[in-house]
Amino acid sequence: MDELIEQFAIEARELIQQASEDLMALEANPRARESLESAFRAIHTLKGSVGLFDFGPMAGILHQAEDLLSQARAGKIVVDAALIDPILAIIEWVDDSIDGISQTGGLPEAQEKQATRLLGILNGAVTARDNDAPADAPAAIPDWALSLHQLMSASGAAGQMIAIRYEPHPECFFSGDDPLATISSLPDLRHLTVSLKEPQPLPEKFDPFRCGLLIEAVSGTSLAEAEAVFRLIPDQVKLFVLTVAADKRAGIAPEPASGRSPERQSTTMRVDSTRIDKLVEIAGELVTAKNSLVPLSEEARNHGNGPLAKRILSSHHEIERLVASLYGAVTQARMIPLENTFRRFPRLVRDTSARIGKAVDLVIEGETVEADREIVENLFEPLLHLVRNGLDHGLEPEDDRLKLSKPKRGRLLLRARQRGDQIEIEVADDGRGMDPQRVRAAAVDRGILSESQASTLSETDILQLVFAPGFSTAASISELSGRGVGLDAVHTSVKRLGGTVELQSVPGLGTSFFLKLPISFSMTQLMIVEVGGERYGVPITAIVETHKLPLSAIQSVRAGRAFVLRDRTIPLLHLGELLQVAAPNSQSGDLKVLIVRAGQEDIGVAVDAIAERAETLTRPLAGLLQGVAGIAGTTLLGDGRVLLVLNMEELL
Amino acid sequence: MTISLDAGAITLSGACGVEEAEPLMSYLESRPDLPVDISAATVIHTALWQALMVFGPEIIGTPISSFMADKLLPGVRADIATRREI
Repeated sequence: MDELIEQFAIEARELIQQASEDLMALEANPRARESLESAFRAIHTLKGSVGLFDFGPMAGILHQAEDLLSQARAGKIVVDAALIDPILAIIEWVDDSIDGISQTGGLPEAQEKQATRLLGILNGAVTARDNDAPADAPAAIPDWALSLHQLMSASGAAGQMIAIRYEPHPECFFSGDDPLATISSLPDLRHLTVSLKEPQPLPEKFDPFRCGLLIEAVSGTSLAEAEAVFRLIPDQVKLFVLTVAADKRAGIAPEPASGRSPERQSTTMRVDSTRIDKLVEIAGELVTAKNSLVPLSEEARNHGNGPLAKRILSSHHEIERLVASLYGAVTQARMIPLENTFRRFPRLVRDTSARIGKAVDLVIEGETVEADREIVENLFEPLLHLVRNGLDHGLEPEDDRLKLSKPKRGRLLLRARQRGDQIEIEVADDGRGMDPQRVRAAAVDRGILSESQASTLSETDILQLVFAPGFSTAASISELSGRGVGLDAVHTSVKRLGGTVELQSVPGLGTSFFLKLPISFSMTQLMIVEVGGERYGVPITAIVETHKLPLSAIQSVRAGRAFVLRDRTIPLLHLGELLQVAAPNSQSGDLKVLIVRAGQEDIGVAVDAIAERAETLTRPLAGLLQGVAGIAGTTLLGDGRVLLVLNMEELL
Repeated sequence: MTISLDAGAITLSGACGVEEAEPLMSYLESRPDLPVDISAATVIHTALWQALMVFGPEIIGTPISSFMADKLLPGVRADIATRREI
């Protein structure tokens, strides 16, 4: 928790900085669309981070601020001082709170007292929201909440909590209420008592459809969240903010600010990622530099100094070992657990499911799996898209689910697993699934492929077409996930991270997306090939398979050549021609062919020889070579030679 | 069928909605000797919980839902037990 708060404080300060810069820019130029967008994003992200904790009214206040900005974005309200000033005031208030938050882990009292005033400013007038429980004063605890308060103090819990007394209306079952289900949707439920209002009802007089229950609960959530849960039945629910002291004393003493150890020592430290990248780069250079010791030892031997040659060689081995472990350690430093991305989902799913009226259980597994920082951070967008897709299109409305005798609450699974040097992330829903026939029809309809092509594909392959650009099965664009970007956006971003995404679906049972990603892309697996006496590296991820092809198998097709592999005609190109370095070598008996995937098609690329595989650090081209098409970068081989790494897709 | 009368127990399974309150009540009335097994139930409507509390049978099994298993069931069992003693 402390670590989370620490991270929150750092992030929040950055976001506050960003938002205030943007708002000031907006003040100077109210038409600066970019600043408006950026301010909105900053506040939105800040709200999301705040929602991970219980900072009392802060989440609600930020939500209102975000609301205002979003209305301004939609052009519903004008951008002027009346908009900007209150939001700046909010930002200042959050900024002031952060110091206290990082010390105590909760919203400082001084700031909490201002919450009502700020809400008032936000609402345009000082008609603050009608809070049953004023946030600023430790008001007298109502009788009903007293026992809950004592209970919580006795259990050793501390902090702010919401006491809830829910007396469902006797006829509430008829209006479709399920009081306990409502209670179960409260986040962080700490305590629950259900009792019969009439202690000993006679079974024979009992009417099962009249609710005679009294529900008392304590939740660690914020008042705003609790209010949101009961927004439809405010008359049946009483809420009260309990401040439970950290010690076991029953009482309402405000939590002493110095009550926790100020000398909290953290074992982690935040380092600018460019510094780590620099280290990776230096470690990579060391790999090459150490190789110069080998010729040095040769030279010493040639001068007749055998013992010196031996000593140089032995220190070479020592350095080699150290460099390898340095490289490993530096790469390790870039690894962070997927939790960093995953933990943003529970709140998001809950908010969204409430908005679209589908009850959803989100199951997260494997959040401790680690991967390169860049991969983990860039995973959020595609995962968000898939999760929303599942919520919106995958899961059926409750009524439909009940008719299909599925549990009323939908289930979304977000699971990460490590598989060798890859991570596999599964995003699965238990919704309606995808019908391959519909996908096939839609794909043909949208001209993604022809009828005859479509009929040759297997059902699994057909499903993958949803990732094609311009494909969207939803009949209408919905507010939630249809914003002009389809699943192809997911495909593109996963591919950019060096990964793949696949889809499995059983109509009626649900859809699963599988994302496979490298754990780290500091190291690339290369296959080294020779052509025209030169050696080139081809990323193994680009190669589907390799083949030995007798010359007789090659057929001429008009100007080009092709061959048949497993009943499919595959065009054949020669790498030497592609790179314009050498004509095809016609003497050799068998051709060595790499099968490379370009878009939806496989293409054979002939090379003179396939040499070893190598694991290297590929760097982007710099200087003059930058922008040479078809070259992804350069890498240094163990012997110090430079190897050009090809980008096959650009070449073809 | 989400409520059934088996050899040794009244069994709730799957999602048990409000409409099951009446059948459950009639089972509870006719067979007060039988325990109620809720281990296979994924969702149990409040009305059913209320019926269980009123009739006070022995509730057996642990539901999959952690809300039911950890938060709701212990209290309901305790409530039934205290009222039996009265």
